[in-house]
Amino acid sequence: MRSRFPLFWLALHRRRRMLAYLAAGMVLFETLMVVVSRAVPPAQLLGGEVNAAPGAFQAFSGSTGDVSLASYPGLLGAGLVHPLWIALQLTAIGSLAAAAVAADLESGTIELLITRPISRARLLAERGAAIVAASVLLNAAATVTLAVGIAASPTLHRAVSLSGVVAAGLLGCCLTLCLTGPALAVSAAGRRRAQVLGATIAFGAVGFALNFIAMAWSKARPLRYLSPFHYYTPGDALAHAHLPWASAAVLLAVGMAGVVAAFPLLNHRDLAP
Amino acid sequence: MHPAAPAIELRAFTKTYGRATGVDRLTVTVETGEVFGFLGPNGAGKTTTLRTLTGLLRPTSGQVRVLGLDPVADHRRLAPRLGYLPGELRLYPELTGSQTLGLLGDLQGVPTPRRAELCERLALSAADLARPVREYSRGMKQKIGLVQALQHDPELVVLDEPSEGLDPLVQETFFALLKETAAAGRTVLLSSHVLPEVQRACGRVAIVRSGRLVTVQTVAALREARARRVRLVLEDGHGPRPLGAAEAWSPAWNRGEVRLLIPPEDLVSALRELLAALPVTDLTVEEAGLEEAFLDLYRAGEAGPGTTNRTMPGTKTEAQL
Repeated sequence: MRSRFPLFWLALHRRRRMLAYLAAGMVLFETLMVVVSRAVPPAQLLGGEVNAAPGAFQAFSGSTGDVSLASYPGLLGAGLVHPLWIALQLTAIGSLAAAAVAADLESGTIELLITRPISRARLLAERGAAIVAASVLLNAAATVTLAVGIAASPTLHRAVSLSGVVAAGLLGCCLTLCLTGPALAVSAAGRRRAQVLGATIAFGAVGFALNFIAMAWSKARPLRYLSPFHYYTPGDALAHAHLPWASAAVLLAVGMAGVVAAFPLLNHRDLAP
Repeated sequence: MHPAAPAIELRAFTKTYGRATGVDRLTVTVETGEVFGFLGPNGAGKTTTLRTLTGLLRPTSGQVRVLGLDPVADHRRLAPRLGYLPGELRLYPELTGSQTLGLLGDLQGVPTPRRAELCERLALSAADLARPVREYSRGMKQKIGLVQALQHDPELVVLDEPSEGLDPLVQETFFALLKETAAAGRTVLLSSHVLPEVQRACGRVAIVRSGRLVTVQTVAALREARARRVRLVLEDGHGPRPLGAAEAWSPAWNRGEVRLLIPPEDLVSALRELLAALPVTDLTVEEAGLEEAFLDLYRAGEAGPGTTNRTMPGTKTEAQL
C-alpha cells in the first residue's frame, strides 16, 4: 500500500480486479460498436445528419440535437449511452462510492480508520478521488478504444474526428462525476453498501428512463431537464467535434453539489458500526 | 497537556440513541499512568464510552476529555497519541497481516518502533504476516489488533475486550505487555466483562450497568470487600421458606440446605438472626470469590436505590465522584 494517500490506494487496491474486468468489458464493448458501425455501408444509413428517426431514438444515440441513430456519430454515440455502458459505469461508481464510507461502517472497519489522525474530510476526499480515478480509467478505456477504431477505419474517420472522440470522452467523465456526487453523499449518510448501490443505480436508471420518456412523449418533455442524460450527448460531441460546455457545466455542478453535501453529512454523524 | 491533568475525564457523559440511553451521566476520571478497568456485562455502555473516547461517537451531553483534548474537535491532535483495539475487530480480509499493519501505521502518521518486537512476542511469524487476513483465526486477528494498537507506543491505550480469542500463552504475553506499558508511564483503559482479566491487570475499576456507573474502586478494595459465602444445613430438611431480612442476601436453596452471600459488615448480625430463626445443624462461612462479589454488587444495583447501603466499604458511588 502506498503511504502517501493510503485510503485512496486502499480503495483502488481492494477493487482492482473489478476495475480491470470493467475496463476490459468497456474495451470489448466499444470494439464491438466500432466493428458494427464499420459493417454498415454509408448507403444503408438512413441519413447522416438528418433527423429521420423518431425523436425518442435520439436518447439511444446520445443526442439532443440533430444527430440521428442512423448515422456514424449516432451509431458510435449509441455505444456511449448503451445500457451496458451505463451499467459498467454505475457498477464502478456504486461500488467505490459504497466503499467510501458506508461499506466501512457496515463491515466495522471504520473503527480502525477513524481512530487514526485522519479527518473525515480526508477520508471522503481520498475515497472520492478513487472514484474519479476509476471513472477516468473507464472513460479512457472507452475513448481510446473508439479513437483507435475510428483511426483504423477511413469511412468512420471521415464522419467522426478524433477531437470529437475526445470531446465525447470528456463528456463521459462529466456524466460519471455527476453520478458520483450524489452517490458519495448517500455513502456519507448511509450505513449499508446496498443503500449506496441502490441509490446510484436508481439515479442512473431513472435518469435514463426519464430522458427517454421526455423525448418520446411531448407532454413529458420538460422533464428532460431533470435527467443527467439530457446533458450527456456523446452523439452530438462525436458529430460536431466539440464539448458542449453548458451541458458539461450542468453535469459537473450536480456532481459537485453532491460532493459538497457529502462533507457536512459525514462531519455531523456518528461513525460507530 | 498539563502534567497533572488526568488521562481521561468524563463528566456527566451521556449518550442517547433516539429515545434509548446508551450511557447515562457517567462521571469517571482515569489518572495518567493508570491501568484502569471498565467492567460490566454486555450492553452496559462500555463500548459506547470507549467509542466516544476515541472520537467515533459524539457525546449527547456532558464533558469528555482525553489527554486534555476533546476527542472530536481535537481528533487530529489526539489520535496519534492514542492506541485503540475495538471490541469487534474488523480487518480488510484481502490484505495480508503485514499490509494491514503497514496501512494502519501509515494512517497513524507516526513511527511504529515496536511493530517487529510486538509481532515476535505475540508469535506472529513472517509467514503468518504474509497471509491474507481472511485466513486468520480469531486469535490471530486479535494479535494483529494488539500490535496495531501498541506499535506506535501511544500515551493512552484503549482496549475493548482485549483478551478475547487469545490462547493462554499469548494471554500471558498480553498481560506482561500491559504491565510494561504501565511501567513506562502510559495509561491503559481496559474494558471487559471478564472480572479475572480486570483483576489481574488493573489498579482501579469502574463497574457499569445499563449505562450507569455502579461503583469505582481499587481492585484491592473490591477483593477486601468480598462477601462471605454462608452455608446453612437445616435439621428438618423441608427446603425453601421465607428468611425475612436475609432474603436480601440471594438465598439459594437445595433441599434442606441454603447458601447466602452476605457482606462482611452484616455477617454477624445476619448469622445471629438466622441461627435464632432456623433449626441449623451445620454452618460454614468462607470468603466468596471475586466473581461472586461482583455479581453480588450487581444484584445490589439491580435491587434499586433502597439497597445502595450494601455498597462495599471503600467504594465510591456515582454520587461521591
